[in-house]
Amino acid sequence: MSRRLTRLILFYLILTGLWQGLYSLRLWPEYIFPSPVGVLKTLVAGFEDKTFIIGILISMKRILIGYGLSIVVGLGIGLLIGRVKLLDETFGSLVLGLQALPSICWLPLALLWFGLSESAILLVVILGSLFSIIIGADTGVKNVPPIYIRAARTMGAKGLQLYTKVIIPAALPSIISGFKQGWSFAWRSLMAAELLYVSLGLGHLLMMGRELNDMNQVIAVMIVIIVIGVVVDRLIFAKVENKVRERWGLA
Amino acid sequence: MIKEERLGQSEELIKLDELKPHRVVDLRGAVCPHPLNVIRETMRSLKDKEILQALCDHEPTAKENAPRFCKRRGYPFWVIEKKGVWHIFIQKIEKSQPRLQVVNVSKVFKTNYGKVTALDNINLTIHEGEFVCIVGPSGCGKSTLLNLIAGLDKPTQGEIWSNGNRVTGPGSDRVVVFQEGALFPWLTVIENVEFGLKILKVNPKIRRTLAVDYLKLVGLDEKFHNSFIHQLSGGMKQRVAIARALVMEPAILLMDEPFAALDVHTRETLQQELQNIWSESHKTIVFVTHNVQEAVLLGDRVIVFAKNPGRIKAEYEIDIPRPRRADAPEVFLNTKWITDDIREEMEELERKVEEVAYR
Repeated sequence: MSRRLTRLILFYLILTGLWQGLYSLRLWPEYIFPSPVGVLKTLVAGFEDKTFIIGILISMKRILIGYGLSIVVGLGIGLLIGRVKLLDETFGSLVLGLQALPSICWLPLALLWFGLSESAILLVVILGSLFSIIIGADTGVKNVPPIYIRAARTMGAKGLQLYTKVIIPAALPSIISGFKQGWSFAWRSLMAAELLYVSLGLGHLLMMGRELNDMNQVIAVMIVIIVIGVVVDRLIFAKVENKVRERWGLA
Repeated sequence: MIKEERLGQSEELIKLDELKPHRVVDLRGAVCPHPLNVIRETMRSLKDKEILQALCDHEPTAKENAPRFCKRRGYPFWVIEKKGVWHIFIQKIEKSQPRLQVVNVSKVFKTNYGKVTALDNINLTIHEGEFVCIVGPSGCGKSTLLNLIAGLDKPTQGEIWSNGNRVTGPGSDRVVVFQEGALFPWLTVIENVEFGLKILKVNPKIRRTLAVDYLKLVGLDEKFHNSFIHQLSGGMKQRVAIARALVMEPAILLMDEPFAALDVHTRETLQQELQNIWSESHKTIVFVTHNVQEAVLLGDRVIVFAKNPGRIKAEYEIDIPRPRRADAPEVFLNTKWITDDIREEMEELERKVEEVAYR
């Protein structure tokens, strides 16, 4: 493990070194090709004057609300269409169709409905992650081995108990995968939506960098966005997913 | 000199010197497995309250198997030894309530290719404490029948009665042990066993105690109680599955090829233990298998199914004293006898066995 870590650190050091070396050749002006030192300085300054922290908090608040709503609605719909054939044949096809639409394509609609507002961004985030979550829950429910349900029924489980004690636990690995994919779609959709107007989130900070011709800020904000995405994905979702898969004997 | 041996609920029976059998069968010289089957067939032809006298020189039949046969059905009986010959008197008394009754049951499945008759007019009566094995080739409807008894599916025609109540859905009086893979992987071993009790809202402390007791009964080492299912071997999984079913205290235990996926050695061990569990708990067991030898080894009665359409082809009483060993000559003889009798169906079965063996 520590050997792997050493290699990783070494890799990034060399990468930064190459970057610095290329910068030292002065082939391009600073606003096109910034130095790692400049980016680091902007990062530190951004956190010191709290603009980055405010940006992160605003973006996090949006994603928590949007993604949270998505989970509630998506899980409900997914669990239903997984079990009810009529809903699956009708609503299920609609979900598959809408899943094919990149979520940022909802933005014009959201802007016409809600104007340049918080609600418009939330709508894009919700629609960005909703379908992955529905499909995850739906697939999970459809793939519950029928023998689990039959066994539970002979032991007296019925109705809602079948859902809470058998179907949901059995479908959990797939539900978590849907959550994970939904999260990364939600994060992407949020950043895309925030780029478009004065929204104060991380996306807006990125756009501000462009408007000020400040490539240091552009790269610095990109790094922040990547780090948040990776941390949530690797440290939260991947951990939970592995744990569930291991317990379910799928790993 | 008459040596009397009275073993039945004989209060209901008239005095010995007043015994006037309506039918006498001489079973001297008949070897197992025939005597008990002749008795059963003859009893079937008798009317209510009539008496059968059977002369028999096969000791296990007279002293053990015939009495058990009578007790299961609630028939009063006498067994008397006279000069090395046993005289067995049995009075037929129709009990109003057998443990399980399958009456004129048919099941038709609609498929894309048309209707398939999975079961055609099945009639079956299973008595309290009886171990019944159902054998047949794949597609003969034996598992379908088990599902109908369990209430997981509804018959197209006919009725099923469990202890006098019409079966309309699943109930914890009839719990199923499935072939494999029916344990819940998200629960530990002990949580699996507690599942049904939790559904019944049994107090957690009592639940835990019962689960521990039954895991002990099926011989699962305590160190596995908190293991997850995928950490267990196939044999241990089936032990847990049996414990999970028994803990519900079902009146009938339904077993759907529970040992089919196990290796030979593990299967033999579990067959022995199932015999022990059965003789300790006096459960009524309906056991579905495609293996005639397994059916003979375990069952008081073996019911052979044929397919297209699924129906009962033959029925045999297994006249072998318990505990039975898989390599006992009687088990071999009975297996051969049944196998010869149902040659046609057997060829189908053997093909299936080979498929399993080469898997």
